[in-house]
Amino acid sequence: MHYIVEAGTNHQAGLPRMEDDRMLFYVDPHSGVPIFRQLMDQVKLSIASGVLKPGDELPSIRSLSVPLGVNPMTISKAYNLLVHDEILERRPGKPLVVADLGQAEIADRRLDQLRENLRQSVALVRQLEIDEADAIKLYRELLAETEPGEKGVK
Amino acid sequence: MKVFEFDKVSRGYGAGDVLSRISFGVDRGEVIGLLGRNGAGKTTLIHLVMGMLAPREGEVKVFGLDPRREAVEVKRRIGYVAEDQELPDFLKVREVIAMNRQLFEGWDDSMARDLINRFELPPDRKIKDLSRGQARQVALLCAVSHRPELLILDEPAGGLDPAARRQFLETSIRLLNETGTTILFSSHHMGDVERMASRLIMIHDHQKWIDSDLDAIREGFSLALVPADAGVDGERLLSLPSCLCARRHGDLFHAVYELDPDTCCKSLRKELAVETIQCRSLGLEEMFIELAGRES
Repeated sequence: MHYIVEAGTNHQAGLPRMEDDRMLFYVDPHSGVPIFRQLMDQVKLSIASGVLKPGDELPSIRSLSVPLGVNPMTISKAYNLLVHDEILERRPGKPLVVADLGQAEIADRRLDQLRENLRQSVALVRQLEIDEADAIKLYRELLAETEPGEKGVK
Repeated sequence: MKVFEFDKVSRGYGAGDVLSRISFGVDRGEVIGLLGRNGAGKTTLIHLVMGMLAPREGEVKVFGLDPRREAVEVKRRIGYVAEDQELPDFLKVREVIAMNRQLFEGWDDSMARDLINRFELPPDRKIKDLSRGQARQVALLCAVSHRPELLILDEPAGGLDPAARRQFLETSIRLLNETGTTILFSSHHMGDVERMASRLIMIHDHQKWIDSDLDAIREGFSLALVPADAGVDGERLLSLPSCLCARRHGDLFHAVYELDPDTCCKSLRKELAVETIQCRSLGLEEMFIELAGRES
């Protein structure tokens, strides 16, 4: 999970941070995932995990583009799509804010995040022709290795 | 109006063409990543925009003007860092900057000062006593401080360490943010291309091989892996629509298609009746190697 990088572990000084000094965005140009999608996913993840709350302001396109080293149009594209998906809200002359999603909505979004993530594993299961029952068993085992509330896999 | 435009432009040195009948136009604020193997014609294309070369056939327009006939007017509005930038090496850093300040209207002193500090350039040192990286930073400072409408960078990363490359990138992005400058840059650093470019032009075999929005490339192309023992050969793969290249790698044929992976997989399996075909998206670097590394 590299969408939040602890302060000091990344040499790109000046990246936007949350109040508790965690970074919000990270771009990997070699991942094969378009950068605008990486940014969209990170905003969605931050909302699902509660790092970003309804009403929180997003950093401006300009302030983000230089430290991230990314074309501002790419950030604008990510923001516009998130506005279109009603995840962010545009207010005239003010920074973008996280839309007021209800609790049920946030729960849905969390499941959406997981679904997106699992799609890759499912593709791998098919590619490697792994038995479905084995795959499900493995997922249960991995879940059992961690406690609820614990972050990250051992 | 296009910032610059090529209309069926050909140019070579001696008998053959390096570039053959190339056409495209660039709008304001676009960031064009120019790709191609060494010798593909990237620098030739840049020299044509700069009016340093005349086309053998066709027409080049920059800001609607002929860059050779109206060289001064055109160059005034361009910032350019050449691949092998040569600055007068007997001059001091501050003298080179003062000279450029004289040449360009709209020189922004505060921007120049800011960059001297940011790059930590020694103003009283002679160019010949600078490191290669520092000399390129002076060249970049001179190229951007008049806030050009068009910035051209030929291999900006060449010979720079990662921190200096990053500064090139950040300086270009600042200019894009503040001035809406159009940027044309050639690079072998795919990471920089992915970060900066909005559009990608790849030159191969004297032609424009790819000319596409960067996101469309990442989502609209796929690599098909076809087992070599499935009874399908490279010719067959190439004959299918939207195939860009196909070649054998050990037990597999690799073929690049201009289709998203899902569609690609379904249509190939159906068309070739081979169920073991697999398709996936591919990064820019991989795509470059698949395309440019193929035997022509």
